[in-house]
Amino acid sequence: MATVTVRPGSKTRFGLRADAREMNVADSVGMKATHISHVAAPIVVEGLTKRYGTVRAVDDLSFAVRAGAVTGFLGPNGAGKTTALKLIVGLAHPTAGRALVNGPVAGVAADADLLGVYIEPCGAHPGRSARNHLRSLAALAGLPRSRVDEVLALVGLEQAAGGRVGTYSAGMRQRLGLATALLGDPQILVLDEPLNGLDPQGIRWLRTFLREHAASGGTVLLSSHVLSEVAQTVDDVVVIHKGRLVHQGSIDELARLGGGVLVSTPTRERLAAAVRRAGGRVEYHGGGGRLLIEGLDPAQVGELAHDERVVLHELTPHGSSLEEVFFTLTDEDAA
Amino acid sequence: MTALLRGELIKTVTTRTALAYLATGAAVAIVNVLIVTQFSVLDKEADKREALAGLPILLLLFGLVGAAGEYRHRTAAAAALVARRGRGRLLLARAGAYAVTGLAIAAAMAAVALAVGLPLLAGEPGPQLGSGDIARVAVGSLVAAASSAIVGVAVGALVRSQVAGVVGVLILAFLGMELLATVDEDAVGYTPFGAAALLAGDPGGGTLSWGAAALVMAVWTLPLLVAAIVTERCRDLA
Repeated sequence: MATVTVRPGSKTRFGLRADAREMNVADSVGMKATHISHVAAPIVVEGLTKRYGTVRAVDDLSFAVRAGAVTGFLGPNGAGKTTALKLIVGLAHPTAGRALVNGPVAGVAADADLLGVYIEPCGAHPGRSARNHLRSLAALAGLPRSRVDEVLALVGLEQAAGGRVGTYSAGMRQRLGLATALLGDPQILVLDEPLNGLDPQGIRWLRTFLREHAASGGTVLLSSHVLSEVAQTVDDVVVIHKGRLVHQGSIDELARLGGGVLVSTPTRERLAAAVRRAGGRVEYHGGGGRLLIEGLDPAQVGELAHDERVVLHELTPHGSSLEEVFFTLTDEDAA
Repeated sequence: MTALLRGELIKTVTTRTALAYLATGAAVAIVNVLIVTQFSVLDKEADKREALAGLPILLLLFGLVGAAGEYRHRTAAAAALVARRGRGRLLLARAGAYAVTGLAIAAAMAAVALAVGLPLLAGEPGPQLGSGDIARVAVGSLVAAASSAIVGVAVGALVRSQVAGVVGVLILAFLGMELLATVDEDAVGYTPFGAAALLAGDPGGGTLSWGAAALVMAVWTLPLLVAAIVTERCRDLA
């Protein structure tokens, strides 16, 4: 399995130095380790560090984002997500390390066809209309003016496009920011807290859009400090805390972290011994004499019981919620 | 580069800022003509040119407020994320856009000043302004306006704060120049404020010739613009 879990304080580089050109990323559907080349990953982050004085906002961060998937970039408020995203898209310069977007180092020159970015705020002058804001950006990017009306319609802002941005609600500004990101119909989308301020219809539209974008081979990296907000949307997750990577893997793997299998059997000791031999951990759970098995999934426990001729009265997946796992990974005490 | 210039031009003309500067510029041009013609003795050509002189500091503030506003409203980052040619050329295009818009504003100011001022100056004693004098004032005002707008963009991109930039420029332009004049009156012409004023027809800018003032203005404009471009390429954008 290609899950990488790193406790803050330890160092993991994924072998992503310049001389190491390959890495493992878990396949989100089959949960099989997929070997993708370093070069093939649309976004590769290598030892990225950003210091402001003595504060390390991003600290030796390394990960890769694969094409055809939505990757959640998660962490609590102040974890360094926005700073890391700015480094990745080239708005900020790293103190050390580098971010590669489709090959070259980010930020040398923008290409709206390749990379679409939304980082709060939406970057529009409050005295300018949304249409004129997008017109100016389309001109800067060398895109046809017709693209402006297309993205306005895409984000549902066509009716309000003539109004000044200063009169917009937070949700409308969010939509304008997304329209900006989508202007060049880019292959790669980097979105910072894109669901903030959107109404339920907007959230649903964006989730569907991002899923379709990934399904068509596009790459999406979106940040959030609320895991439940993006859990339905993402395939992979990158979790950071205090600027450091604490976990990278698929969302399914994240859900399994800290979980186990609850088993009830009349021959507990026999099963417990077999589980330990198979590399699992066992502890007694509650007062009913049930066993909580960790390190093996339900299918493995069932097969093990069958092989050992152990009768099972109960076999139940017992997982921590995604939020619990997230909190555990980003727990202040653990850090 | 054309695409960048077009994009930046769209930005400069799609807020009310340019219109506000245009209206202010026209009003100031009229007030300047009226004050100079009503309260001064205009028996020399230089005095008459002063009545028609442009106000390049207004265009400097126009460029400064616009360029610094890019950071205040975070529009600089949005533009940098889509501009294919990099941040340096983007800022160059921005300076070009403000120079072009500044030219339009200065042309309107010059037209207003000439329309109001020439009939009033015709009644003044002494030698009358010839077409060459009038052309020199008009062209000088345009050159001073364009270069002042570029200086404004460079300063705005360097300081990134509209308030600090405007206050600093006003202190330098009025208090600083007054103090400098008390030390050495001729030195004023070697500052961007004095050189721009001389170019625009204001004899209060010093004693330099028109060509020397243009050279001084270029010597201030280019390094400031280069410094702003280098800084822009190196800095983090919010």
